[in-house]
Formats: sequence, structure tokens, C-alpha cells
Amino acid sequence: MKKLIAGAILLGASSMAFAQPGCGVGAMIWKGQSGIAPHVLAATTNGSFGNQTSGMTTGTLGCSTNASVQSMAMYMDSNIDKVARDMSRGNGENLDTLAILLGVEQADRDSFRSVLQDNFAAIFPNADTTSDQAISAIVALLQQDAGLSKYVAA
Amino acid sequence: MPALAETVSVPAGLYLSPGWLTLGHYHQPSLSSDYKSQADDDAFFLSVDGKLSPEAELTATLTAIQQPGGGDRHARCRFPARSTWLQQELNLHLPAVDCPAYQQWQNELNTETVTLVFAASYLNSPSSMFGHTFLRLDPPQDDNDTDLLLANTISYAADAAAHDGELMFAYRGIFGGYPGITTVRPYYEKIRLYSDIEHRDLWEYHLNLKQSEVDRMTAHAWEIQDKNFDYYFFDENCAYRLLALIDVARPGTNLLDEVNTHAIPSDTVRWVIDKNLVGHVEYRASAATAVSHSLDSLSAQQQLIASALANGYLKPNSPELMALNETDRAAVLDATYDYVRYQSEADGWPRDFAAPLSHALLRERSSLNAVYPPPPPEPAVRDDQGHNTFRLSLGSGRTEVGGSSRNFSQLTFRPAYHDLLDPPEGYRPGAQLQFLRLDARYYTDNDELQLEKLTGVEIRSISPRNRFFSPLSWQVSFGGRRTDTGRERVLAPYLDGGAGGSWRIASNTQAFALATADLEIDNDLGRGYDAAPGADLGFLHQNPRFSLMAGVKTKAWIVSNQHRQDQLYGKASWHLGREFSVFAEFNREDHFDRMQNTWQAGLHAYF
Repeated sequence: MKKLIAGAILLGASSMAFAQPGCGVGAMIWKGQSGIAPHVLAATTNGSFGNQTSGMTTGTLGCSTNASVQSMAMYMDSNIDKVARDMSRGNGENLDTLAILLGVEQADRDSFRSVLQDNFAAIFPNADTTSDQAISAIVALLQQDAGLSKYVAA
Repeated sequence: MPALAETVSVPAGLYLSPGWLTLGHYHQPSLSSDYKSQADDDAFFLSVDGKLSPEAELTATLTAIQQPGGGDRHARCRFPARSTWLQQELNLHLPAVDCPAYQQWQNELNTETVTLVFAASYLNSPSSMFGHTFLRLDPPQDDNDTDLLLANTISYAADAAAHDGELMFAYRGIFGGYPGITTVRPYYEKIRLYSDIEHRDLWEYHLNLKQSEVDRMTAHAWEIQDKNFDYYFFDENCAYRLLALIDVARPGTNLLDEVNTHAIPSDTVRWVIDKNLVGHVEYRASAATAVSHSLDSLSAQQQLIASALANGYLKPNSPELMALNETDRAAVLDATYDYVRYQSEADGWPRDFAAPLSHALLRERSSLNAVYPPPPPEPAVRDDQGHNTFRLSLGSGRTEVGGSSRNFSQLTFRPAYHDLLDPPEGYRPGAQLQFLRLDARYYTDNDELQLEKLTGVEIRSISPRNRFFSPLSWQVSFGGRRTDTGRERVLAPYLDGGAGGSWRIASNTQAFALATADLEIDNDLGRGYDAAPGADLGFLHQNPRFSLMAGVKTKAWIVSNQHRQDQLYGKASWHLGREFSVFAEFNREDHFDRMQNTWQAGLHAYF
């Protein structure tokens, strides 16, 4: 039964990503799921699926930021290693998904990809970077970019 | 409360119409018996007799949907597909009803088309060898903001307790004991599970359902979501429940009628294709397939560098790498990273080694401006295009012991699924899974019909090792078989196991060496049972035209009667398309100080 309840929470949480949530409900769900934010390069051993997605924490972002950023945070939490991989290569469907969740328009996609690739080392300074830290770094980078800052406006 | 239902005239026998029976998951367990719903959840019914009476359920539903009011607890909100069906059948004009939860759910799903996703089997887990299917609900794709990774999926699965091992899963899966639940989850989670963790390639079959059909399907998915339908491994499994959803979407499809004794996911995909439900098909390689492909794409020298990088002997900025041009360096770094990720998932490489290495690889890669090589090519033959899984074989053979010989005809009947000598396309190379295979022999000299062998389950996984991957090859089987006691051949229950390694010696060819252990139990054996450690050395060649396996086996029976049993064996099949194979087998055996030769040849038919 416990598995099912966890599943229901995740479903609730994940459907937020599509609904572009207001922060109230999302913050509530995340609070209930507090745990260690996944390390970006965590060696995810023993294939236990549930555990890897349970670290829904965007505490550092809280309600102050916009809904798209929260959606991106949700996605990063369960796909962080693939996002990092795509980012280092400057392309890939996981990077495109981030762009879509942030609402980055086609015209800005190339610049979005290259900003993230060029600043990989700033986003992921070391192997212990958590998804929270990576997201904060991404938001900060985009805010500094004249063409991309509109997508992360609070 | 006004019972408005009485004012509506319900045609006699409406409750027996296929539309209603499909929506209620009603079936007749046998032709003569009464209807019973496969739903095992009181919340799925509005009548207390609903499980056993489609008529009572229809009456109760009709009454309930005509009640005034609305809100999430109203019958029309809990059972939107049923109430729509009834309204259309009876031409009812009910006032609009407000269902906030259902409405929100439909809005979030935002489904325009539906894709049937087949997660191919993978080698090392019996519970997954049949493959798995689920449905993906695709949003409209008319702008650039659609992303299928974010699309939702519907799947039906056993809610197996996490601590149940493979054997317990198989047992409870076959005999019942797991609740089955329909769940809705995003596609990226499924990809993570099937493609990254379980290493299963995904095939995406786009269904040609119209919007009204899609809406009916999602409405019914709402009705069965989180409702318990007991899960059975062979028939009422993941694939079966999805077929029911497709039947609901397009009435008259009757996919469930195809299911007799079992619903193997790859077969169910074939049925869906046969019913002209599939538009186009797409392939998504698993992490394992992708990493093999990117390693194979490297030159021998680059592979050496990748291996040294992955094992920590070289750093990502070592001179050996810097000597490569930018494109090659990117390819080596990409392949190595994918390999380290794969090993972390599959082999549990320790984090304190893998994480800094992964980070260094990605960081180095981010400075290179090279396009990642294209993903692995789609296999020429899809899983649903492989041979059918039901096999009937007719053969004729001869055994020679000393000076005497006997001729026999052999009939083999195998409901599922694939053996190493069957046409290999659409199946994993080196993987074998057989269930409930029955071999019967008719000896012509004395008109005797004998059960030669009954295989309960037989699994073999012969998987080559190389510089990057070191899988274990293994086998396990149990059943009953004829065994030689020295005086007669008796039918004895057996349990065999084995483990070892395999190495690729040419393309499509591998050599294997397995240590084996056999156990037989029978009153006719000296102490009632016997056990034999042994060895099996052989090679296996599989290509679309023919398959060949040959080798030597030796066993030392050590309990009841101490003697060796040495065998030289060869088996070959010529594949005439994917419907028929001609097979030949030879076995030469030294046992009880006498030599026995057995020849056999015949035809396999797959359907």
C-alpha cells in the first residue's frame, strides 16, 4: 500500500509539471517529500526506481520563483543525469524538454543550448552538485543573459 | 429522491450488448456460465450485485446518472464513459453536470492521439522476458511546445511488493495474489525505468484512433484508474487490460476475443496491427543498446582509450585524448560517459569512483563543439515481426543402442515462447524462454506412445562477454523427462541449473562454457533421487537463415548410481521465412558403458 501512496503523490507532483503549477500546491507536495536532493552525478545503484524520484526538493526556490522554473525543477529532479549529459553535448531531447518547460521560443533555442553548454562547469562545479544548486545556477545564468532573462523572470 | 429511471424504457437485453459488457469488463468464464466482471473492486460497481450481474449494474447506473446534482461523487463524474454510453443508447438528454476533478484530469492529459508502447524483453529477468506494454497519451503536436517525454502514460501492472524476488513474483503472478492497478505516469518516468534501468528497447506504435475514440478511452481510464483488477502473469496481465481499453475506444474491435489462454505482449501488438489500428512505428533504443552502439562505433584504438578512461587509468585531458581531433575526442568522451552511467546502474559501480569520473568526462566534453553521433539504427526486424510464439513440431527419428534400433515419430507442442534455434529476428540473441512444452514420442516398433519430456519452464541466457561488458550466462529449467536407469527409461521430475560465460568468436557466433547441476527425482532411481554436477561446452550460431548449436556435455551422477553420462550434441534449424523451420538433431551419448545415438529431423511451424 505504501508504494501506491507514494505513486499517488508522485502522480500529483508530476502532473504539476504539465499544469504549470501555482506554487501553493507544489510547495506542499514537495514539503511532504523532503529528502536529500539528488546529486547530479549520483551513481544510482540497485535500480530502485521510487527512491530516485522521491527527492522532490526545491526548497531553495520556494514560491518566490515562477511556475515554469518549478516545472523545470520537477523534471530535473528525476532526470538530472540525462540533463547534465545533454548539456555537456549542447543538444538532446532532455535539454529540449527544459527549454519547453521554461517556454523558450524556437528563435532562442540555439542561444539557450549554447549558454548552458558553455557554462557547464559553472552549473555543475563538482560531482557533489545537487539539482537545487544546478537549477539556481541555471536561473542565475539565464537572468544575466539579455535574450533569455525573460524566461526566468520572477 | 425521484426515481427517474422508471420513465425511461430500456430495451430488453441492452445489458448484453457488447458495449456494456466491455465497459463493465464482463466475461463468461465458460460459454454456458453466467457473466462475471473481471474487476475485483467494489468501487467499480454501482450495484452490490454488479460484479455478477451486468443487468443489475446497468439498472443501478441508469438510476444513478439521472440523479440531480453534480460534483466529483456523482455517478456521471465517477463513470463518465458508462454514462455517456447509456445516454447515447437510450437517447437521454440529461442536464450538464459539473465534474471538477474529472475535467481537470482530462485537461491535464490533453490527449489527441494514443501510442501503444512495447518495452521489449530483456535477457536477465524471467519476469520481463515476455516484454511489457503500456499506452502513451500524446498531446496535440501542432506547435513546438509539445514534448513527448512529458506526455502521460497509462499502464496496468501488478502491485508486487518490492521485496518479492523473481521466483515469488513468478509464482504469485501465475497463481494469483497480486492486485493489478491502472496508473497514469509521465513518459519520462517510463523511459527511466524501462530504458535506463531495465535496458529494454522501446517500440512506439502510433494508433490511428479518432478524437472521439481517444476521449472514450481516457474516460474509461478514469473509471478504472486505481481500481483493483487481479493480476495474472499469463492472461490478465498488462497487455490484456490495455486491449480492453482499446476495445472500449473503438467498439467492435474485439481484441480481447483474441486472448485464449495467454496474452504475450508481443502477440498482443501483432493483434493490434492486424486490426489495422497502427499508423506508424518508432524505435527508441535503450541505454544498453545505445552504449553498445556508441562503443562499437569507435575504432579499436579509441575503444582502448575509452576502456582506460572508464577504468581510471587515463584522465579526460590526457595526451592520448588530446591527440585525437575534436570530433573523435567528443565521440570517445560521450561513449565513455554513457558506459560509466550504464555500469553505475547495471553493476553498481561505487559512487565515489563513478561520480568524479562522470563529472570530469562531462566537463571536458562541454568544451567541445561536436554533434553527438546519431542514435542506434532501428533494427531491420521489429519484435512484433519475429516468429509467432506458438510452435507445433513434427519430427521423425531413430535411436540406436548397441546393435538394436528403434524408430519413432515425435510431436512437440510449445505454447510459448522462443528457443535458441528458432528464427532469431525480433528476439534477443542468446535468449531462450520456453513454457509448458510437451514432447511426445510414438515408437513404431511396438505402437507405443510415450511422453518424452514435459518442460515447465526453461530459461537460457547466453550472452557474450567483452572488454566492456561481462554478463553471466546462465540457465535454469524444470519439468519431467525420460531418464535412463540402466534398465529402462522412466519419466522423472528434474531440476537443472547452470552458470558460466560466453565469448563472441565470429559475427553471430558465440562459444560458451557452463558449469551445470542436474537433479532428478524418481522411485526407480536407487535412492529415489540423483544429482549430477557437470559441464557444457559448446557454440551457438544464429542468423536469419539458419541456427546451429553444437557441443559436448558431461555429467557425473553421484548419488544413486555412480556413473558418467557424456554427450556430443548438434542441433540445426533452417528457417524458411518466419512461419516454418526445418530442424535436425543428433545426440551421441556414452552412458552405462554403452553408446547410444539418436537422430531426429522434422518441421517446426509457428503460429
